[in-house]
Amino acid sequence: MHPATDPRVQRTRRQLFQDCGIGIGKLGLTSLFVGDSLFSKPAAKTGGMHHRPRAKSVIYLFMAGAPSQFELFEPKAELQKLSGETLPPSMLEGKRFAFMESFTKDPPKLLGTRRKFARHGDSGHWVSECLPHTAQVVDDLTFLRAVHTENFNHAPAKIFMNTGTPFFGRPSMGAWVSYGIGSDAKDLPGFVVLQSGPRGPRGGAMNWTSGFLPTAHQGVPFLSGGAPILNMTSPEGFGGERQAATVDAIVDLNRLNMKAVGDPEISTRIGAYEMAHRMQTSGPELIDFSTETQATLDLYGAEPGEKSFANNCLLARRLVERGVRFVQLYHSSWDHHGGPGESLDKDLDDVCLSADQACKALITDLKQRGMLDETLVVWGGEFGRTPMGEVRDTVGRNHHIDAFTMWFAGGGTKPGESIGETDEIGFQPVNGAVHVHDVQATILHLLGIDHEQLTFRFRGRDFRLTDVGGKVIEPLLA
Amino acid sequence: MHLRFALPLALAAASAAGAQSEGERHFEENVRPLFAGRCQTCHNDSVRSGGLSLASRNAVLEGGTRGPAVVPGNAADSVLLRAVDRQGALKMPPDGPLEPGDVQALRDWVLSGAEWGAPAGDPEQAASLWSLRPIDRSEPPTIGQPSWARNAIDNFVLARLEREGIVPSDAAERRTLIRRASLDLTGLLPSPEAVRAFVEDDGPDAYARLVNGLLDSPHYGERWGRHWLDIARYADTNGYSIDGPRSIWPYRDWVIRALNSNMPFDRFVVEQVAGDLLPDPTREQLIATGFHRNTMVNQEGGIDFEQYRVEAVVDRVRTTGAAFLGLTLACARCHDHKFDPISQREFYGLFAFFNNVDELGGNLGEVEGRSRMMEPILELADPELLAGRDRVKARLAELRKELDALGAELEADWDRRITSADTDALLRARKIAETDPAERSSVEDAVLERFFAEHVPEYEAKQEEIKRAGKELPEVPWTMVMRDLPEARESYLHVQGDFTRRGEAVTPGTPAVLPSMAPGLPKNRLGLARWLVADDNPLTPRVTMNRVWQRYFGLGLVETENDFGTQGNEPSHPRLLDWLASEFVASGWDLKHMHRLIVNSATYRQSSRHRPDAAETDTGNRLLARQNRFRLEAEIVRDAALSAAALLTPTVGGPSVYPPQPDGAGQFTQVDRNWTADTGPGRFRRGMYTYFIRSAAHPGLILFDAPIAQESVTRRNRSNTPLQALTLLNDSSQTEFATALARRVRAHSPSRDERIRRAFEICLARPPRPAEHERIERLLGQMADAFASDPDALAESGADSSRGAAWTAVARVMLNLDEFVTRQ
Repeated sequence: MHPATDPRVQRTRRQLFQDCGIGIGKLGLTSLFVGDSLFSKPAAKTGGMHHRPRAKSVIYLFMAGAPSQFELFEPKAELQKLSGETLPPSMLEGKRFAFMESFTKDPPKLLGTRRKFARHGDSGHWVSECLPHTAQVVDDLTFLRAVHTENFNHAPAKIFMNTGTPFFGRPSMGAWVSYGIGSDAKDLPGFVVLQSGPRGPRGGAMNWTSGFLPTAHQGVPFLSGGAPILNMTSPEGFGGERQAATVDAIVDLNRLNMKAVGDPEISTRIGAYEMAHRMQTSGPELIDFSTETQATLDLYGAEPGEKSFANNCLLARRLVERGVRFVQLYHSSWDHHGGPGESLDKDLDDVCLSADQACKALITDLKQRGMLDETLVVWGGEFGRTPMGEVRDTVGRNHHIDAFTMWFAGGGTKPGESIGETDEIGFQPVNGAVHVHDVQATILHLLGIDHEQLTFRFRGRDFRLTDVGGKVIEPLLA
Repeated sequence: MHLRFALPLALAAASAAGAQSEGERHFEENVRPLFAGRCQTCHNDSVRSGGLSLASRNAVLEGGTRGPAVVPGNAADSVLLRAVDRQGALKMPPDGPLEPGDVQALRDWVLSGAEWGAPAGDPEQAASLWSLRPIDRSEPPTIGQPSWARNAIDNFVLARLEREGIVPSDAAERRTLIRRASLDLTGLLPSPEAVRAFVEDDGPDAYARLVNGLLDSPHYGERWGRHWLDIARYADTNGYSIDGPRSIWPYRDWVIRALNSNMPFDRFVVEQVAGDLLPDPTREQLIATGFHRNTMVNQEGGIDFEQYRVEAVVDRVRTTGAAFLGLTLACARCHDHKFDPISQREFYGLFAFFNNVDELGGNLGEVEGRSRMMEPILELADPELLAGRDRVKARLAELRKELDALGAELEADWDRRITSADTDALLRARKIAETDPAERSSVEDAVLERFFAEHVPEYEAKQEEIKRAGKELPEVPWTMVMRDLPEARESYLHVQGDFTRRGEAVTPGTPAVLPSMAPGLPKNRLGLARWLVADDNPLTPRVTMNRVWQRYFGLGLVETENDFGTQGNEPSHPRLLDWLASEFVASGWDLKHMHRLIVNSATYRQSSRHRPDAAETDTGNRLLARQNRFRLEAEIVRDAALSAAALLTPTVGGPSVYPPQPDGAGQFTQVDRNWTADTGPGRFRRGMYTYFIRSAAHPGLILFDAPIAQESVTRRNRSNTPLQALTLLNDSSQTEFATALARRVRAHSPSRDERIRRAFEICLARPPRPAEHERIERLLGQMADAFASDPDALAESGADSSRGAAWTAVARVMLNLDEFVTRQ
């Protein structure tokens, strides 16, 4: 019998992982190494750790809209020199861009940056004046300077970054991780999604869907301000001890019926009600920043009750502290085409201002608490931006899929490292190019998962996050 | 060497004779399944672990980094055999050794020359796949305990159980049976009165009458229609990132009507796949074609629209495979199917059937207030309404002409007719009036119009008249339908599934491994539709009956209900599946007949109580020594609560509705969703009518595993999570239902005991057990005290008294019980 469809395996896996989307305390990592033969035997089909993990948790800072590497991290002397020159048409042959018409009307001209750059830290990473705070922690970061992807529109590219395919409805990275190794969180979901900025990410819930994996593994979006989870608050008048008495009665009656019909699924439901109640009681504590020192709040620039990236970064640390496996923060909007609200000047300034300090704070705070070693922080968008200008109201930059910049920190990555290089104008990688599937394989690797082995049988095929590609980026590992 | 040369000759001889050689048969029966099941996940043409692919004979002979995997006739030099022997460093498969018999089979295969069967797409291969063999109706087997059986189904099930020495379960209690059958056939709870009547009905055919009554209910079409809508990937929005609204609910209602009228299933298929190509199609037949317009439409700026048009065509092929054939056709989009006999070329043969739809593949603005990307569409108004709309439009055009004439008059006679105190405005308007009307921008036109309206009462009156007339424009309901282009689009194979890389041209055609299309059938969607339900197509009836079975027992007879190929499971009861399939076709594709048979069987009527004795030999209850017990589907969780609360608005069909949803549910979508909860009857409609936004579906549906309509779904997950518990505990709708249930219970009787009993009868169709009764009493006391001592909480609860609030608490508990959301 096929392990993925063998009801005995399914049954057990279901019981084990039922609550993982929400975390079950006892399912620690070690229990997956040994003990349950179902995991130690065909790990390829049933998930679980494949090797010793370097990171316990991931905080993924998704910069929605695609930040311009040329304004932030990639000064190019040649590009400055050639600014205003037309790109030789031969370089555009066979390339596909979004808003093709803006490039076909007039041949695009190269665009130098107006931002000032300097080298920072012992590592000497280039960072522009846009990110003065990030510049202070570059020695803790590892830069990938030649990431490439396959889709040039926001929604498919985001979905690609998250699910390994541009098609809607495949499981996202956080869901794969939750499915594969569960979570240590006792009363919180294993995969939490936070959002800040003017709008939700394109593609919406498809970015954190569980796809064909059990829905318990889907990302749970936490709401900004107020109760973080939908329906977390008891009905008016029925809260507190009354809710406790209600849940008690439900649990007792379910137990009585369990005796009568003998279905183990009823125990799972009892467990779900008990955890739901714990979530209700621990939720307010989670979002209560009054236990943080003023110094910490100042470090992040967090204002209790505000809907901001800074608050979300602090919340992310608190979630990871409580055992949540995968926290993804979406921050919009970085889509600087040059149109109204998307200029490379003031509008870029605004979004940098809203993100920069909190990024530094997160790294610093995790480090101070000794958590950075086992928390992987990832920063990046869905693609990069072109070295050519795009003429709208002002001159901005179009979407570019061939080379863009991401950074990693902590969680077993090599601090201060820089991987990959692009040509003189930043158009194409010249060495160290990594594909999105490589990024995904590496994140899984740091969590102790072999990306080729974590598969799920669906529609007659074994699917995995990295589709049929992906190579762990070895130089990035500490 | 000798063998290598001899092999092709032997193969040629075998195929010339039209028969399979001994070696080929050995390969098909023993080796190919082994490769497919244990090796090809890592060793195929795309993923070559160790450089090795086991996808073809050539690939095997070529081998990988360790040299040829197989040297025919030479066991010692064949790396494959060394690896499966696990004696050396290389141990395969990595997830555990093969059975000794399988190792021997491989050795025999290598030694006898490593013959290989026919390549993908070759009909020769069909013989080895059970699902492609003709349906074989065998007589129901004889059984040792004939008194247990109620119809032929039971003979098949019991014969199998007897073979394993397992006794079946007794029939469930009548109370359980009526609740189970009502939920399965209509998705609603039986009323306590209906339960009592059934329990007290001494007639020998009481149960059969109950089932007939449920099948005649208009809610049967809703219940089974919703199953079909999963397969049809029905939703009220366009999907992808913009996910704008569409109108296709008339298709949803067509499905309900078709099932309620028991339309023969073959017609049900033909009208949905190709109703538009039938001679003189009726409006109903056109609406039915919405089936394949449930594909998503991408409205995002800057995209390549052709890419998404192609995606929709691919989805139609994929859905056709899942819905009717039980084949994972989409695997062959980028390459020949790895496991099943479907070639990539054949995938594009099917693609070509669906590639001619007159879709715009671009954003051409709006007409009648709807995006033209929704076309082709069908307006559903009667001729009178349409004529009315034409009249209003004509009137509007006339008024507009009058307004323009008046404007021209004013411009011509400016000094006499215009006076204004606001010099700036006057100068600006005057300046516009002096430019040639053809040169004015739309903004300038608007400025001038507003100026005239503000200064010339006559002009303003005319504008008002236009506004009033515009309000008389009737809203005409419409629905998305199929319509082919007059000239077929050319179809090509897409190299590696990439639509920008055209391979050879293809024409419509069906996979060679399946029975061929009858020569008289047209090579278009209509021909395809008729082929899907042709007498010699074994898949459609098998797949359909398997799925019907799955809805009643939790799993199909073939557990992999969407994969009847080599990677799927074989049926647990092959002869029963074939008997059902043949009975289905012989009855004239009569779905209600099949429902009646299954629901009346002793197999279905069994108790679902767990059977530790049977579980020892049959862990997953695949042999059905009892019924299965499972959580209600998302929509039915809501419907059950609505019926318990007696709040349900039972209207069947119509535009989708907006029941309340928790605040912030739409917070994470790209486009803000305005969700204004209905306050009228729309608030209490069945779950299937909730307006379904693909990117931000109602959390009450999604958390209970309703599919998100991205693609065809033939079986739902059944998860059991704390977020579900939070929804049932705290969602405002649930509180509304609990309040109504408490009211209903209190109105029943002044006696506390009677009320408790009533609550159980309403929710669970049974009286409480003594321990349950006691537990509820205790809760009542606790809650009454708690509310009595906390007037603020009492006021917040909205209840009239602390006793009243305590009854609401009881109702909340009832609606949260595992048994309440479970069909036992």
